[in-house]
Amino acid sequence: MLGQVLATEFLKLRRSKITWISWLAFSVMPLAGGLFMWIAKEPGRASQLGLMGEKTRLAGVSADWPSYFTLLNQESCVGGMVLLSIIAAYVFGREFADNTAKNMLTQPVGRHWFAVAKLVVVFVWFGALIVSLVAEGLLVGTLLGLSGFSMQLATSSVGNVLFSGLVGFLLVPAVAWIATLGRGYLPPIGFTVFMLVLGNVFGATGWGKWFPWSIVPMLAGMAGPRVEVLSSGSLVVVGLTFIAGVVATILQLRWADNAQ
Amino acid sequence: MPSETIISTHGLAKHYREVCAVDGIDLDVRQGEIYGFLGRNGAGKTTTIRMVLGLIQPTSGEVVMLGTRIRPGEQDVLSKVGSLVETATAYPNLTVRENLDIQRRLTRARREAVTDAIKLLRLDEYADRRAGQLSLGNKQRLALARALQHQPEVLVLDEPANALDPAGIVEVRELLRRLADERGVTVFMSSHILAEVAHLADRIGIVHAGKLVEELDAKELHAAARSYLDVTVSNPDKAVAVLAERMGIVRVVRTVEGGLRVFDGLERIAEVARLLVTEGLDLTHLAAAEEDLEAHFMRLTGGDN
Repeated sequence: MLGQVLATEFLKLRRSKITWISWLAFSVMPLAGGLFMWIAKEPGRASQLGLMGEKTRLAGVSADWPSYFTLLNQESCVGGMVLLSIIAAYVFGREFADNTAKNMLTQPVGRHWFAVAKLVVVFVWFGALIVSLVAEGLLVGTLLGLSGFSMQLATSSVGNVLFSGLVGFLLVPAVAWIATLGRGYLPPIGFTVFMLVLGNVFGATGWGKWFPWSIVPMLAGMAGPRVEVLSSGSLVVVGLTFIAGVVATILQLRWADNAQ
Repeated sequence: MPSETIISTHGLAKHYREVCAVDGIDLDVRQGEIYGFLGRNGAGKTTTIRMVLGLIQPTSGEVVMLGTRIRPGEQDVLSKVGSLVETATAYPNLTVRENLDIQRRLTRARREAVTDAIKLLRLDEYADRRAGQLSLGNKQRLALARALQHQPEVLVLDEPANALDPAGIVEVRELLRRLADERGVTVFMSSHILAEVAHLADRIGIVHAGKLVEELDAKELHAAARSYLDVTVSNPDKAVAVLAERMGIVRVVRTVEGGLRVFDGLERIAEVARLLVTEGLDLTHLAAAEEDLEAHFMRLTGGDN
């Protein structure tokens, strides 16, 4: 049955404008990073760009692959988490926003399959966006002729981006639960923004490794000092958040009244 | 004759805090019959239908459909059920055909079911149009096509004639009648449109304030309808007073048109006529009449003074 439900979920995805909007949003990130690199590489031109050049100098960005990969990682971490929440809000919340949940829930299909299929769709969609971001980043860096490239650096940096994306995905079921609980798009997006703010607070106060929404920014050095390897405690926290989110979403779909 | 009970509810109730949406409904829908669930807005029709489909949990009582007790998440029995709940909705970015294909996949219907349903509901012209661009009437047709395409044994339809034009209403009425008569499909449909129910239903359940206030079949409906004298007279106030004083007839209802409905006077029609004329009233209309479903419904649901 999962195969049939997946086929229907991917059909809904293919016909959605948000597919292309999210891809466009994600594809801007490597270009933005590339712009920083270009400015750093050409200090003379940078000064002609006013604030942009000033900001680049302040950030101390150097025009090389290690800096560029760091930027890509930061962009994919924070931008990725926001985008992930929008994607999850859309995939789960649209059934309520479009008032199609009643149709979905009166199908002769176990309701848990809808939760599973939608999570798979988010995973595949976001995975494709991450791969696209990495590919575009490699192309932009090559075109800019950045120095300091090595296979080892590329492998570990791409690995970091993919790992951050994976950890970010593990928080999606919690967002999905809020979408089914709040029956729409806005509650899950508001929830994610609130959690990211809280994540910054926890990160700044040294408790970030115990708070799921601090852990992904920590991997990019955006909530306290950058963490190379997650502690087992953080992995457990993220894993439990994933499991709790999946269970809560399935229970919500199965038992909650659909009186819309 | 239909006999097997397909849908039954026992003491079905739903409370939302202090609000009682449905208050202990007991009903049986038999195989091959069209059961019209009639009530005003907010009477509890949609809440009952949602409980029948497992979309909401009853506060107390139960629903049994096709021998299975319905609870949220009890999905297997739904393969034999087609449903339309409240407003017709579909995925707006998907075409009519794609929306139906989703339904086909999830109900494991054969591939041709999509084309057949499109033809059945006369949606050929709109098959490749996005659902979001359809008129309300065609959205309703799409929702009906979705409910029918896997050839269910039971149809649970909430206001199936919503948004349809008069020709569409007749078409859907005939379609449901045909499905019930030729294929033995059981139809449980709610409506607030009296004429629709009166024309179509084999049995009618009238729900008011969450309670099933009456259940009757089409024949009983005529028996339940009260007879009265329809009177148009120059001075209704005087007529009311005279009928009470001289003939002891006190069950007289004024209509909004200014006429009178005189109950209990049917057998004394000549006497009533004589009395009113003798009293110097201009009697312009006097005829025996029978309440229709509308009047019966209004009386039951407190809309008749």
